[in-house]
Amino acid sequence: MTRKYIVVGIIFALLILVPPIANVTDDTFLVSMVTRFVIYALAAVSLDLILGYGALVSFGHAAFFGIGGYVVAIVGFHMDMGDTLFGWAGSNSALVIWPLAMIMSAVVGAVMGALSLRTSGIQFIMITLAFAQMLYFVLVGLVQYGGDDGLSITNRNLIPGLDVDDNTTFYYVCLVLLTVWVLVCRRIVNSPFGMVLRGFKQNERRNVNLGYAPMPYKLSAFVISAAGTGLAGVLWANYALYASPDMASWLKSGELMAMIILGGMGTIFGPIIGAAVFLGLEQILTAWTEHWMLFLGPVLILVVLFSRRGIFGWLVGGRNND
Amino acid sequence: MTDKKPKLEIRNLRKSFGALAATDDVNLTVYADEIHALIGPNGAGKTTLISQISGEIMPDSGQILLDGKDITRVPPHQRAAVGLARSFQISQLYHDFTVEDNVAMAVQAGTSKRFSLWRNARKDESLRKPAREALAKVGLEHRANDLVSSLAHGEKRQLELAIALSLNAPVLLLDEPMAGLGAEESMLMKDILQGLKGQYAMLLVEHDMDIVFALADRVTVLVYGHPIFTGTPDEVRDHPDVRDAYLGNE
Amino acid sequence: MYMFIEQAMNGLQYSALLFLLSAGLTLIFGIMNVVNLAHGSFYMVGAFCAASAVAITGSFSVAILAALVGAAVYGLIVEKLIISRLYHRDHLDQVLATLGVIFFTNALVTLVFGRSPPFVDIPPLLSGSVQILPGLNYPIMRLAFIGAGVLVAIGLWLLISRTRVGMLVRAGADDAETVDALGINISRLFTMVFTLGALLGGFAGVMGAPLLAVEIGMGEKILITTLVVIVVGGVGSVRGALVGSLLVGLVDSFGRAYIPIGMSQLLPPEYSDSVSSSLVSASIYILMAIVLLVKPRGLVPAQR
Repeated sequence: MTRKYIVVGIIFALLILVPPIANVTDDTFLVSMVTRFVIYALAAVSLDLILGYGALVSFGHAAFFGIGGYVVAIVGFHMDMGDTLFGWAGSNSALVIWPLAMIMSAVVGAVMGALSLRTSGIQFIMITLAFAQMLYFVLVGLVQYGGDDGLSITNRNLIPGLDVDDNTTFYYVCLVLLTVWVLVCRRIVNSPFGMVLRGFKQNERRNVNLGYAPMPYKLSAFVISAAGTGLAGVLWANYALYASPDMASWLKSGELMAMIILGGMGTIFGPIIGAAVFLGLEQILTAWTEHWMLFLGPVLILVVLFSRRGIFGWLVGGRNND
Repeated sequence: MTDKKPKLEIRNLRKSFGALAATDDVNLTVYADEIHALIGPNGAGKTTLISQISGEIMPDSGQILLDGKDITRVPPHQRAAVGLARSFQISQLYHDFTVEDNVAMAVQAGTSKRFSLWRNARKDESLRKPAREALAKVGLEHRANDLVSSLAHGEKRQLELAIALSLNAPVLLLDEPMAGLGAEESMLMKDILQGLKGQYAMLLVEHDMDIVFALADRVTVLVYGHPIFTGTPDEVRDHPDVRDAYLGNE
Repeated sequence: MYMFIEQAMNGLQYSALLFLLSAGLTLIFGIMNVVNLAHGSFYMVGAFCAASAVAITGSFSVAILAALVGAAVYGLIVEKLIISRLYHRDHLDQVLATLGVIFFTNALVTLVFGRSPPFVDIPPLLSGSVQILPGLNYPIMRLAFIGAGVLVAIGLWLLISRTRVGMLVRAGADDAETVDALGINISRLFTMVFTLGALLGGFAGVMGAPLLAVEIGMGEKILITTLVVIVVGGVGSVRGALVGSLLVGLVDSFGRAYIPIGMSQLLPPEYSDSVSSSLVSASIYILMAIVLLVKPRGLVPAQR
């Protein structure tokens, strides 16, 4: 148990120290690169909640990443145009937009979940994928918002008292949000609700026999997970000052799954490592060769075949039954 | 059998799978403090009957009544709440949880805490204490913190029973609790069940006739989905039809 | 009226392509209980092999051979190294491992063939059109593909109804004992089924090459549509794959033709273009969502 907390402590210590290290080593790209890790980690952790703990293989989660991003982009677009969006003048305050985007992700998640959870197995995988694709095509079809080319964003959303345009400040904002979200997810996973969700993964028949109805639990977890992924999309749009339809593509969901499995499924902390490793490898290997997937593909396969517990599991050792 | 009205009553229950009548006009009662054994040859439909009473399978026709109330259409996840606890012939356990976790899941199901997103389930004494008590009842308290995957087969059957008991339901449907147990383990299980006598309305599916004669107040013999006789163990032993259909073929 | 028939024929041709892919994928799922996301990769390998063969030799027949051999060999390797270890794993593991195969295959094909292979011309034998109805000409190539699809369907039907392997498919046997009792080596059976699926995928790649874009990532696009087909038709059922292919192919084709017209009638011009393009692309997903919500196991589910 303590080994786990040491590993987690080291991870967060490293993350906190990134900007000072960047200063010392004069690396202008480090903070920017690690910001991407943190943002994707937020999405991966959210998906791990239902994938790793609930065994819900949702290929549709990228839809929420896309929704988060486009809420920011579209509101920004209309404000730049100086017109109103359904009668609302808009806002550039993160305190307004970010919760709004999370709520919208949660609402869409509730609809998507309520419909998809009526199926299971491969049909569930497919119907969640279908929903993501539908959203993708809607986004591509929104020509006034850039369509296939995506939509640029002129300014980051504002947070009172903070200079979000400063990359270091923005990085810490993302890190704080990731930390808070990880703590929330850990609490959920160890709560009675979380135990029931994990029960559905291990033995649904027994769960039902004891009196736990599948839909309320799975749907609630799905919605919470959607909100978190939506927040990640918001942060990405702010970071990149850009939103594009492939934020919502099923392949994006696949990337998140790859991060989860590399880092360690069903651990909450694992996906953080997974995101860093996946994106870090992409960064390093693309500098060498454009065929970086030639290495990543087999790595992913090997992890799946031989070690479900991923890098985090390997670091922590022992059994993982938390 | 002191109560006149049965706790659990099955009326004219039928279930067919294609041309096969798995449950063929079953009438059966279980009183609030009796152990009612359900015996019959393999394929007689005992587990199918239990699955209908627990709600996993929907009967084609007939009724299931609990305290006189019709629960035939109650969904499976609500049956524990109305008062039916069912254990499985093949243990259904949570393999990544500890022994105590498994029982605590049953304890938790009956409380309002089960939707709580915030408290730590493993540190909640109101859930863990009753779990440990149930484990003590079946003699597993020394294994409370071990993972299910480390249990021997007999211990898994004990755990299966502890889970059913923790639902605090007045009616217990036990599907071959001794399945796969050796002679010594079966005796232990028999002693545990004997200790529960009179506290539950228990429908016990069982193969071992010695156990049945030792524990049961009444016995129903099921053959090809239909009950051919119901009576005390002695009556069953002496009944010619039963001997021909079942005991004689042993 | 002619447009209707022409669209129907285009739909059928797309259906034929989809059937080649979905029959293999559904067999793999039905017999081996494996979710093979890498199925589209065999389509891509086939297309690239065919395109390169045409560029090098100029012969379409060689191209077909190259596609079949390339896809089948690759399928065999993938099965032996990876898929065979996934039979007893859960679907999530299979999804993730085959996702890895997709990533790897994309990179491998880029490495071997380069990012954009030459466009495949229609071979002289199959070029031109033929008059199928007075006043309506239809390309011979497309007719040939419909014919190929029909032949494969008949071939699969014969395989399933007349051979021991087929008996297993019908019985839905994924149980090792049953298979052994019939005197069949289960791992060899699985290898055969998987390779057959890859071969069919490669053949579909040849069909797709002259008509659809040959590019990295073409596998994923067609894979999604193929998955839609088998989920709509019923996972594990070749009849379901046939029904699904027809339905999806026709819905897609008619959607492309008629939705823009319909939308331009219903909506003001500034909206009708984007709405119709989204609807056209999303049409098959909407179809699938509706089918799943009404018949969760598909239209013609496998007998279990």
